[in-house]
Amino acid sequence: MATVNNWIDHLTAASKAEGGAAGPIFPGAGSEGILVIILVIIWIGWTVISSRQESDKLEKLARRKPSSNAWKSNITDG
Amino acid sequence: MTSQIDALQTIFTEFYYWITVVLMFLIHVGFCMYEVGASRYKHHQHTLMKNTMLIPLVTVTWFLFGWWIYWAFPTGPGLAPSIMTESTGLVLGGGFGANDLANPTNEFMAITLNDHVMGVFWAAFLLFSWTAASIVSGAVIERITTFAFGILAIAIGSVFWSIDAAWGWHFDGWMLKILGYHDAYASGVIHAVAGGFALGVLAVLGPRIGKFSSSGEPRNIGPRNPWLVTVGLFLIYTGFWGFYAACNVPIYDLGPEYGMEGVTFFTATNIYYTPTTLSGITMNFLMSLSGGLLAGYVISKGDPFWTYSSGLAGIICASAGNDLYHPIQSLIIGMIGVVIAYKLHYWVERKFKIDDAVGAVAVHGYAGFAGLVICGFVLNGYPSSGYSVGAMWDGSTYAAINPLGMFIGALIMFFVLGMIPGWIIAKVLNGMGKLRIPREVELAGLDYQIMEEAKEDEKAVASSSS
Repeated sequence: MATVNNWIDHLTAASKAEGGAAGPIFPGAGSEGILVIILVIIWIGWTVISSRQESDKLEKLARRKPSSNAWKSNITDG
Repeated sequence: MTSQIDALQTIFTEFYYWITVVLMFLIHVGFCMYEVGASRYKHHQHTLMKNTMLIPLVTVTWFLFGWWIYWAFPTGPGLAPSIMTESTGLVLGGGFGANDLANPTNEFMAITLNDHVMGVFWAAFLLFSWTAASIVSGAVIERITTFAFGILAIAIGSVFWSIDAAWGWHFDGWMLKILGYHDAYASGVIHAVAGGFALGVLAVLGPRIGKFSSSGEPRNIGPRNPWLVTVGLFLIYTGFWGFYAACNVPIYDLGPEYGMEGVTFFTATNIYYTPTTLSGITMNFLMSLSGGLLAGYVISKGDPFWTYSSGLAGIICASAGNDLYHPIQSLIIGMIGVVIAYKLHYWVERKFKIDDAVGAVAVHGYAGFAGLVICGFVLNGYPSSGYSVGAMWDGSTYAAINPLGMFIGALIMFFVLGMIPGWIIAKVLNGMGKLRIPREVELAGLDYQIMEEAKEDEKAVASSSS
C-alpha cells in the first residue's frame, strides 16, 4: 500500500526525473478511480438514508399534532 | 522548485490561499449564527443543522464534479473559442483543462509533491461554494426539509455557481470575451446568482405560516436574538475580507504574461490577471462597508437588522469593480446598492408575497445585480481581462467593460443561472412532496422532538437520588 518506503530514494529519483517530478505520495497511488467510486457510494447512500430518517421523523411528529405553543413546555434551560 | 526564489514564491502563494480559506470559514460560522439568531426558538437546532450539513454535501460534490465544471465550461460550451484549445467545446486538456487539473482521479486532487497550489485553490473556490449555498439557506428557514435543502445546496454550490464562474470569472470565460464582463469580487458570480436562486426557490416554497395576513399584508417576524445576528454579521464581514484576498493572485510578473519584451512587473492581480493591490482593495472594502452601513441606518430608520445587513450589501454592490474604484466611489456605490436592495425587498414582498426570512435575496441578489450594472458604467472602457492586451489566436480581442455587456451579464447571473434553475429544481422537489415540511411540524416547531427528549432527560436526572 505504501507509495514511499524511503524518502531519500524517492526524492533522489524524483530529482533526476524530467522536471524534478516527485509525484503523488498518498498510500495506494493508482487506486484513485476506486476511491472516487467509494465516495460516490457514500454520498448517494447517505442521501438515501438521511432522507428516510427525516421523512419518518416528520411523519411521526405530524401525526401527533402538537399545538403551536406546546414547545414552550419543553424548554429546559429557563 | 529548484531555485530558492521559485520555492519562496510557490510556498508564499500556497500559504496565502491557505490563510484565505481559514478566514473564509468565518463566513460560514457567521451565517450559522445569523440564521439561528433570525429563526424562532422552536426551529433553532434544525436551522443550525441544515446550514451545517451543506458543508459536507457541497464539499463532496465539489470534489467529484464542481471543480471539474469550472475548468471545463469557460467556452459555454459552444459560445466562444478557448484561447488555449482554440475550440468552442469543453476545455478538457491542453495543460489547463478540466481533466488535467480537476478530474477527481487526477494526481492534483491529492497530495502530490509536483504541485503546491491547486489544493488550496480548490479549497478557496469550495469556500465560495459554501457561501453561495449558505445565502440560499437563510432565505428558506423554518419550513424547508433538510433533504430538499441538500439538493438545492448542491445545485447552487457545485453546479450553477461553478458554471457562472467558468463563464464570468475564468480567464478564458466567454462572458469576458463577448460581453466584457468584469466582476472582480463576485457581485454577480456569487451574490447575484445565489440571490436569484433563492428567489426562485422561495416562489415555489411559499411563505412561513402567519407571515401574511388573510388580506395579504406582510407581518414582521423579526430576529429572535439580535445579538447573535450582530455577531454573525460581523463574522461574515471578517470572512468576506478573506474572500477578497482569495479573489486575488498575490504575486505575478505581468511583463512576460502580457508579452511585454524585457519588462518585469511584479504585482498582485485580480482573478482576471489585471493589476490591483491588496492595499487598495482593503480601502475599498472598508469604504463600501461604511457606505452600506450609513445608507442602511438612514433608510431603515436605525433598524439594527437592516443596518448590519446593509453593511454587507454595500460591500456586495461595490465588489464587481472594487479592484479599480476610488474608495469614495466604493462608498457611494455601496450606498446606492443598499437603497435599491431595501426598496426592492419590500416591494417584492408585498407584490409577490415572497417571504425572504433574512433578506438574502435583497442583500445578495438585488445589491449584486445593481453592482454589476453600476460597474458597467463606472469602469466603461477598461479591459475586462489581462488577456485583453492583445489579439487572440483568431485575431479578435476581448470586449472591454461596457454598460450593456454588464447588464446582460447581470441578467445571466440573476435569472439564467440563478432564479430559473432554483425555481425548476424546487418545482420538481415540490412535485415529489419533498420540499416543504408538514404544516403540523411547522406549527409545532422543527425542534419539538429534540426539546421533548431533552426535557425527559432533565426530569430523569433531576429525580435521580444517586
